[in-house]
Amino acid sequence: MTRERALILIALLAILGAVAWSARPHDPTPAERVDRITSELRCVTCQGLSVKDSPAASARQMRDLVVQRIAEGRSDDEIRDEFRASYGDWVLLSPPVSSWTGLIWLVPLVALVAGLAVAIGRVRPATSSVAAPSARELAALRERVAREEALDLPQTDGAE
Amino acid sequence: MQRWLRLSIVVGITALVVVLMLAFRRDPHDIRTGTVNKPAAAFTLDRLDGAARVALADHSGKVVVLNFFASWCIPCKEENPALVRVWERYRSSDVVVIGILYQDSLESGRRYVRDNGVTWPTLTDEDGRIAFAYGVFGIPETYFIGPDGIIAGRHIGPIDEATLVAAIDGLRPKAAR
Repeated sequence: MTRERALILIALLAILGAVAWSARPHDPTPAERVDRITSELRCVTCQGLSVKDSPAASARQMRDLVVQRIAEGRSDDEIRDEFRASYGDWVLLSPPVSSWTGLIWLVPLVALVAGLAVAIGRVRPATSSVAAPSARELAALRERVAREEALDLPQTDGAE
Repeated sequence: MQRWLRLSIVVGITALVVVLMLAFRRDPHDIRTGTVNKPAAAFTLDRLDGAARVALADHSGKVVVLNFFASWCIPCKEENPALVRVWERYRSSDVVVIGILYQDSLESGRRYVRDNGVTWPTLTDEDGRIAFAYGVFGIPETYFIGPDGIIAGRHIGPIDEATLVAAIDGLRPKAAR
């Protein structure tokens, strides 16, 4: 039994080690950078396609430009900024939150919160607005019940 | 809660109407991207006829009308007569028209220039770098560069003579008009 546990422990450690190794931070290769940047850039002559996914000639030329800029030693941000300088934030498939296009991210969140508030307001049971009877009223009620019991009259509350 | 809900709906609909009103007032031929009101990107490109290379800097101090075109572009053929007339009107003045061939073969570009009476300088941008630098979405697109080298405006789609003349005269010094 102890030996089996040791083997399971070793196997678990090996799996954890493999996962940690594969997830270790590493410098992306130029090809990985090209893929990442072109998947974030919009093909300027297409309908909602990234440069990476588009077969259009303009997308191929944009990809070639990204390859050249990486070879020249430009950073990812510098390459993205070059396209943004010409086409604005539109050229990025995910608009940056910092610009006014951040509204695109904010509006759905605000709508969600507002919707939840309305839903909660409708679902929550209404609190009773009837105040608790005062001691005087309770006493009067008890006196009435006692009187009716003494007279042996049928109780009318909730009957019929 | 009901009051807040009603107020939110009214505010939301009002905001939507305002946004739509502003959007519909914009000229779809004049989309303001990053290059307008910025210095025009410098370039030195080969002429289609192979005669020489032409640089934007060669025309410093002039009004430059930069037109992106291609032989396969039907709207380019539609706007070409207007460009021809405007070129004939201004060619001896401080205005220069430059055509840049966009995603087309040299042979097709040369044939287009020959068949359509294009006599202004036409250049080739084989790798599309200049089109990207100017923010070209599709063709035809026309950019107006002032004597100060700043892109004063752009026109997306086929352009007519009146728009060309208005844009050019707006950039020329008063004395030259």
